[in-house]
Amino acid sequence: MRSEVVMPQMGESVTEGTVTAWLKEIGDFVERDEPLFEITTDKVDAEVPSPLAGVLVERLAKVGDTVEINTVVAVLDTEAKAGEVSAASHEAASAPAKAASASSGAVSASSGGSATALASPAPTTTSAASSNGVPSREELRRTRSTPLVRRIAQEHGIADLSPIEGSGMSGRVTKADIMAFIESGAHQGTNGSTGPIASQPAQQTRQAPAAPPITLGDRDRYEPLGPQRAAIAEHMTRSRATSAHAHTIHEIDFSAVFKARKRMKAEFEERGVKLTYTAFMVKAVADALRAFPVVNASLDGDQLVYRGDINVGVAVALEASLIVPVVRNVDELSLLGVARSINDLAERARKKRLKPDEVRGGTFTLSNHGIFGAEFGVPIINQPQTAIISTGAIKKRVVVDQKTDAIMVRPTAIFCMSFDHRTIDGATADAFLAHIRTTLEGWE
Amino acid sequence: MSQYDVVVIGSGPGGYVAAIHAAQSGLKTAIVEREPTERLGGTCLLRGCIPTKAMLHTADMLETLKKGDEIGVMASDVALDMAKMHAYKAKVVKKNAGGVSYLMKKNKIDVHLGHGRLAGKGKVSVEAADGKTQTLSTKNVILATGSTCFHLPFIDMSPARVLDSDGILELEEVPEHLVVIGAGAVGTEFASVFLRYGSKVTLIEMAPRVLPSEDHEVCAEAEKSFKKQGMTVLTSSKVTDVKADDKGVKLVVETKKGDKTSSQTIEASHLLVAAGRAPRTQDIGAKGTKIKINDRGVVEVDEFLRTGEPGVYAIGDIVNTAWLAHVASKEGILAVDHIAGKNPRPINHRLVPMCTYCSPEVASVGLSEEAAKEAGYDVKTGVFPFSAIGKAAILNKTEGFVKIVADKKYDELLGLHIIGPKATELITEGTLAMELESTIEELLMTIHPHPTLAEAVAEAAHAAMGHAIHI
Ligand SMILES: Cc1cc2nc3c(=O)[nH]c(=O)nc-3n(C[C@H](O)[C@H](O)[C@H](O)COP(=O)(O)OP(=O)(O)OC[C@H]3O[C@@H](n4cnc5c(N)ncnc54)[C@H](O)[C@@H]3O)c2cc1C
Repeated sequence: MRSEVVMPQMGESVTEGTVTAWLKEIGDFVERDEPLFEITTDKVDAEVPSPLAGVLVERLAKVGDTVEINTVVAVLDTEAKAGEVSAASHEAASAPAKAASASSGAVSASSGGSATALASPAPTTTSAASSNGVPSREELRRTRSTPLVRRIAQEHGIADLSPIEGSGMSGRVTKADIMAFIESGAHQGTNGSTGPIASQPAQQTRQAPAAPPITLGDRDRYEPLGPQRAAIAEHMTRSRATSAHAHTIHEIDFSAVFKARKRMKAEFEERGVKLTYTAFMVKAVADALRAFPVVNASLDGDQLVYRGDINVGVAVALEASLIVPVVRNVDELSLLGVARSINDLAERARKKRLKPDEVRGGTFTLSNHGIFGAEFGVPIINQPQTAIISTGAIKKRVVVDQKTDAIMVRPTAIFCMSFDHRTIDGATADAFLAHIRTTLEGWE
Repeated sequence: MSQYDVVVIGSGPGGYVAAIHAAQSGLKTAIVEREPTERLGGTCLLRGCIPTKAMLHTADMLETLKKGDEIGVMASDVALDMAKMHAYKAKVVKKNAGGVSYLMKKNKIDVHLGHGRLAGKGKVSVEAADGKTQTLSTKNVILATGSTCFHLPFIDMSPARVLDSDGILELEEVPEHLVVIGAGAVGTEFASVFLRYGSKVTLIEMAPRVLPSEDHEVCAEAEKSFKKQGMTVLTSSKVTDVKADDKGVKLVVETKKGDKTSSQTIEASHLLVAAGRAPRTQDIGAKGTKIKINDRGVVEVDEFLRTGEPGVYAIGDIVNTAWLAHVASKEGILAVDHIAGKNPRPINHRLVPMCTYCSPEVASVGLSEEAAKEAGYDVKTGVFPFSAIGKAAILNKTEGFVKIVADKKYDELLGLHIIGPKATELITEGTLAMELESTIEELLMTIHPHPTLAEAVAEAAHAAMGHAIHI
C-alpha cells in the first residue's frame, strides 16, 4: 500500500519547510519513527521520522526545496520489500517548489499525491518569492497586468491574477479590474488559487516601512539570510506590528531559590536530572499563568481565546538562531518533571533532534538574557501569544530591606515582561509578575 | 445614388480622422464639408491649432534672436515682418489642408462640399454653396461639426478693432495695446504672441487664476512669468462694458480683491474676446430625431459616442469632453471602431493631455494636486525646477518646473504638470506612463538621456520619493 509522507508543521506559525537532506535512498526500507529526511524551518532544524514502516518509493522534493506544510514530499510502500523499487524512475523530476501561488489553507495532506499540482505557475527558485509567501512583483509581472495592479495585488495577497478578467490593452488587468475583483470578495475564497496566505491577517499588520538605501563601501559584503534567520526577522517585525507592546520590570530575590536548589540538587542528580534555575522560573510562571488566565490567552480578531493548557516555551539559543521548545502542561508537572523536560528539550534542540510537536502549541514564552550577564532584556512577543518574560543574569546585588532599611547583598534577577496592551493592562501585568516574585522569593 | 457605410459631417480633426479610419476599416465612406473652398481640416487646421502655433513659432524665434547676444549670436536689428509671418502661416495651413485632401483621395473617401444635415433615417442631405442639394444614403452618420468662437452677449463684435480668435489670425498690424479677455489656452497663447511681437498686452481673467483649469502651482508660475515679461495680468476681473470705434476700445473692468471690488477703465487699441467656444449644432437636422442637444448646444452621447438616434454618432467639439483636436481625433477612431463592431475600449478622459503653447509652455495630464485631494487621495508631490536642469540652462530657458502628483498608498501616478520649455512635448511621457498605470517607480527606473529636458520628469519622480538628485 502506498502511503504519503508530508512536510510536518514545525511550530505554530511555521508555514513551510526546506528539505536539507534525505536520509534514505529510493528502495531503502525505513522503520517507523526512523529518521527519513532532515528539514529546516524558520523555527527549527529537525529530522523527520517516518510515520510508517515501508520502502521509500518516491521523493517528491529535492534537497533545497521549500514546500508548504502538509505538502507530500515522499511516498512509502508499506508492503514492498527493500530493493524492490529502483531509484531512477521515481526521483522527483522537478522541484515541487514553494507553493507560493496556492493558499496554504487549501492544501491538505489528503489532497492527493502529486505535490507538483500545488505549484502553478511554479517558480523555480524559492528566492523569487518574498518571505511572507506572497509572490514578488517579478512573479506577478508574468501575468499581463500593470505596475499599479501588481502593487495592489501584493498588498491584498492576491498571488494569481489569472482569474481576473483584464479590460485593458490586450487583456491587461487594470486597476479598475482588480479593484472590482477585490470588491467582489472573490479573492477571499479559500479554495481558489488566489486565496490570501493563511495566518496573514493583512488588515491587522502594518507594512514595515522600507529601510533607507544602503551605501556600499569597498569592504562591505553581502550574505543572504538563512531560512531561520529570515523567518525570525519576519516574525519579529510582524509581531511588533501586530501587538501593542508594553513592558514592566521587576527585580526578584533568588535567595530562597538558591537555598532550595542547594538542598535539592544532589537528590535530583541522583535521579539523572540537572536542576537549573530555569526550572524554578518555569514552574513559577506556570503557577502564575493559572492564576491569571488572560496572560495565557491569545487574541483572535476581536475575541480572546483562553488556552486550556499551560504550555511554556523556553527559548534556547542555537549557533546562529533561536528555538523555542515547549514544556507542555507545566502546571501538572512537579519541579522534577519540569526540570527533566527542560533538560531533555534543550539538549535535543542543540542536537537538532526535536520532534515537530515539541516546538508547537506554546501559550507563553520565557527567554533568558542573562547568559552573558545582561541585567535584563526587553523581549518581543512570540505570536500569537500575549506576553513574554525575559530574565537577566542572577547576580549578587545590593538590596535595601524595605522594612528595616538594612542594606543586604542578595542574589537577584531582573524580569522584564512584554505584554500586549490590547489584551492586558499594566495592573494585570504587574500582579502577574508579583505572583511570580512571591512564588520564587518564598520557595520552600 | 451610392450607399455609404459612414458619412462624416465636418472635416476637422474629429471628422477627417474618423473618415480615414473608417475607410481603412473597409467601410465605404464620405465626408461633408461646408467650407466654401475645398479647405479641409476644420478649426484646427484653418483657424486653430496650426495657424496659432505658426504665429507662436515666429514669436519664439523673435524672442530667441533678441536674446541671441546672451549666447553669442549677434543678430542686430531683429524685427518682425507681419506680412512675411502671415505668408509663412498661410503656407503651413495650406500644406496641412492639402495633406488632408490628399489623404481623402488616397483612402478613396468621397468629399462632398456643402452644408450637411441629417435628412431622415439613413439620409444625409448636402446643400452646396450654389443651393444645389443632393442626398446621401448611409448606414451610419458621424456628426463632427465642431465649434465656433463664443461671443459675450454684451460685447458688440462688429467694430474692426474688436476681434475673436478667427479675426485676430488675420490682423495685419501689430496692435499697440491688445486687451485679451479670457486667460484660457486661446487667450494666453495670443497674449503671448503679441506681447513678443511688441504689443502692450493686458490679460483679463474672471477666475482668480490664469489658466484656471491647471494645477494651482502652475497657474502661479505662469502668472509670475507673464508679469515678468511685461504683461499686465488682471485676475478675478470682469469686463462689464466695452465701447469701441475705428480708433480703439474702451473697457470697464471690475476687479475683486477679497470683499472689495474696484473698477477701472482701460483704453486700448484692440480687444480680443477669447471667452470660449460654442458648439456648432444649430442646423444639423437634429430636429425630429432622438438626438438630445442640451441648452448649451452640446450633443449628449454615451461612452462610445452614440447619440440617442440609432446609427448617429457625435464627436469632437460638439460633445461634452475636452475641446481639443487630439480628443476629437481619438473620438473619431472610437466611434468608427464601434461602428465596425470592433468592441473598442472607451476613452479614459482622465488621461487627456492639456497643452497651452504660450511662453512658458504649460502642459498637464491627470489630476492636479487640488483635484487629487478632493478626490480623496492621500497625495504626495514631487517638484523639480528646470533651473536645475543642464539642458534648460543650455537653451537659456530655465523658467518653470515639473510636478508629479501621486497617491501615497501605491505610488500611483495621478498627474503630471509641466510649465517650462517644451512642456507640451514632455507631457507625453506622463500620458504614456499613466496609460500604462505606472507607479512613480517605473518613471524613476526609466533611463532618461542626458542632457535633455526630460530629465526633469525623472527628477520630479525622485523628488516625489523624497530624494531628488540634482538639487
Ligand atoms: C485659436 C485656437 C487654437 C487652438 N489650439 C489648439 C491646440 O493647440 N491644440 C488642440 O488640441 N486644440 C486646439 N484648439 C481646439 C481645436 O481646434 C478643436 O478642439 C478641434 O478643431 C475640434 O475638432 P472638430 O473636428 O470637433 O471640429 P472642427 O475642427 O471645428 O471642425 C468642424 C468642421 O465641420 C465643418 N462643419 C460644421 N458644420 C457643418 C455642416 N453642417 N456641414 C458640413 N460641414 C460642417 C466646419 O466647417 C469645420 O470645418 C484650438 C482652437 C482655437 C480656436
